[in-house]
Amino acid sequence: MADLNVLYESIVNGKLESAVAITKEAIAEGISPQVIINDYMIKGMEEMGQRFQEGRAYVPNLLMSARAMKGSLDLLKPLLKGDTSNSMGKVIIGTVKGDLHDIGKNLVASMLEGCGFEVINLGVDVSSEKFVEAIIEHDANILCMSALLTTTMVNMKEVIDAVEKAGLKDKVRIMIGGAPVNDKFSQQIGADGFSDNANSAVQLAKELMASN
Amino acid sequence: MRGKELLKQAFALQETARVPWVPFVGVHAGSLMGVSSKEYLKSADLIVEGVSKAIELYNPDGIPIVFDLQLEAECLDCQLVWADENPPAVNSHPLMEGIALEDLKIPLASEGRIAVTMEATRQLREKYPDLALYGLITGPFTLGLHLLGTEIFMKMFIDEEYVHQLMEFCTKVCNAMTDYYKEAGCDVVAVVDPMTSQIGPEQFEQFVTKYCTDVFAHIKEQSLYSSFFVCGQAQHNIEVMCGCKPDNISIDENIPLELVKDICLKNETSFGGNLLLTMALLLGTPEDCERNALDCMDIGGTKGFILAPGCDIAYATPKENLLAVTNLITDTYRQDVIRALDAKVSNAELIDKASYGSSPKVLVDIITLDSGSCAPCQYMVEAAQRACEPFGDRVVWNERSVKTPEGIEFMMGIGARNIPTLCIDGEIKFISTIPPVSEIKNTIEERLNLK
Repeated sequence: MADLNVLYESIVNGKLESAVAITKEAIAEGISPQVIINDYMIKGMEEMGQRFQEGRAYVPNLLMSARAMKGSLDLLKPLLKGDTSNSMGKVIIGTVKGDLHDIGKNLVASMLEGCGFEVINLGVDVSSEKFVEAIIEHDANILCMSALLTTTMVNMKEVIDAVEKAGLKDKVRIMIGGAPVNDKFSQQIGADGFSDNANSAVQLAKELMASN
Repeated sequence: MRGKELLKQAFALQETARVPWVPFVGVHAGSLMGVSSKEYLKSADLIVEGVSKAIELYNPDGIPIVFDLQLEAECLDCQLVWADENPPAVNSHPLMEGIALEDLKIPLASEGRIAVTMEATRQLREKYPDLALYGLITGPFTLGLHLLGTEIFMKMFIDEEYVHQLMEFCTKVCNAMTDYYKEAGCDVVAVVDPMTSQIGPEQFEQFVTKYCTDVFAHIKEQSLYSSFFVCGQAQHNIEVMCGCKPDNISIDENIPLELVKDICLKNETSFGGNLLLTMALLLGTPEDCERNALDCMDIGGTKGFILAPGCDIAYATPKENLLAVTNLITDTYRQDVIRALDAKVSNAELIDKASYGSSPKVLVDIITLDSGSCAPCQYMVEAAQRACEPFGDRVVWNERSVKTPEGIEFMMGIGARNIPTLCIDGEIKFISTIPPVSEIKNTIEERLNLK
């Protein structure tokens, strides 16, 4: 019988192969995907989030856990077709126009994906128009923007203005991140939230989904 | 004592007569000449001109030649994208695009912008023999990340051997860069490795310690001083960074300076930082910058501390902000004034500016640090005294020393910002410069006529 506690441990320790193996066993035994995801996988990611906050885990550990989580989720997704209860939400993410830094943004994308969000990563140097088009095309719930430069952080406001102009401001929640931005700046430009690391970005995304 | 000699004392953890100042001027020097970052970083002549301009303005003890963490990466086939007001950014990671690690060659001193940087170093060395010139090299972990991208974080778990091979190669690049800077005339090699902030201390010890220790030992063998720059939240790694045996560790505002001081001094390592790059230097006022600098100086002290911004100064940073820091470093009066103004005045009630001076007598107030110890204050008080004498008891003068709570209360109530300041009936009339006695007399007379 599949030992789902080992799945939990595999997520926490970032062991992709063992996470995938247990997930396959569990599926074969007919265990409900919801139980596998909610009671073991998400709990594993939450434990990692907690360790990150407390300085007991770092970015490489988070990425490995997210990778193991994604490996298992890929097996479970086909079984969830038509059941949206396990979809955490759809996220559009990108670095704003003029800015080519992608490390932090990709960490956030990996973590969100690992935690069950559907992530559409638009890359770097993304224009306001592209962000708006992607929100419409994918019917997104959350928009995440990143900027590393003091000269490009101002472009976040332009994107928010474009979202507003397209009549999407009430539909999509906006999160920002990156070295020069902070909570005050987030409020100034009319974003819904700010996060300074990949773990709290996931928490924020969950909160924003809950308040939608 | 100043310049290189002062910095040597700080590196050696000896008491310094004042805090040494190393503004990390990078592309900001381009803005001082009105040229873009791209033009600036590609021309040895512009770099020499820009750094010279910064030296002239900011009177530093040491200064970087170039602050660009993409210099080596560019020579190793990482594609760069250039911006007008920022250093370039790496846009491709060759090891993720089919290039094998064995095929990468250590860049030569004659290659690309490394040659430009070394040429600028030689010229600046000749021009400024007494200043400490900092040669910046990309730290091995950050260079590894440029070459491999974020995949390096996963490879730390799934292919440790590969990460070690990559770090070994990057260490060779660092050592070669050290040799080039030594030959060109640098005094200090700063190993800038910001991406280490993303890994934990155990991961640092597993994948970074050995290599950075090698880099710092090589710098020492060349009879140069070394600094380990890290930006971002790297608090958890300060101890292991000290373990790599650099002469100095420099950090940004993400880490409390007190903490870095404690750890570094315990490990017999000098330390530096951590002026606020954005909130003070770029977006603040000169007064904000002075306060921020003084906070750093008061925490850092004069043993093993180097005042510096947290990282590369932003292109558009107003020069007035950096000038305010520059002036503060040698102006002990100004330091005392700011400390006094920041001291909490318990239950102080500010004077009522509207009714102050409504009595039949004219009130002359001289706001000073202390006329006994501050020469400009003394001359201002003497000038005021002499100007008041002919008016007898129709004029009352008072010295308001900001060393007393009442003096601070008065200064804040009046809204004065400089020392010394002379006020007549609560209005600021003369600031800093001592006016001729006749001018003060005339002003008092005008005021008396209005009574």
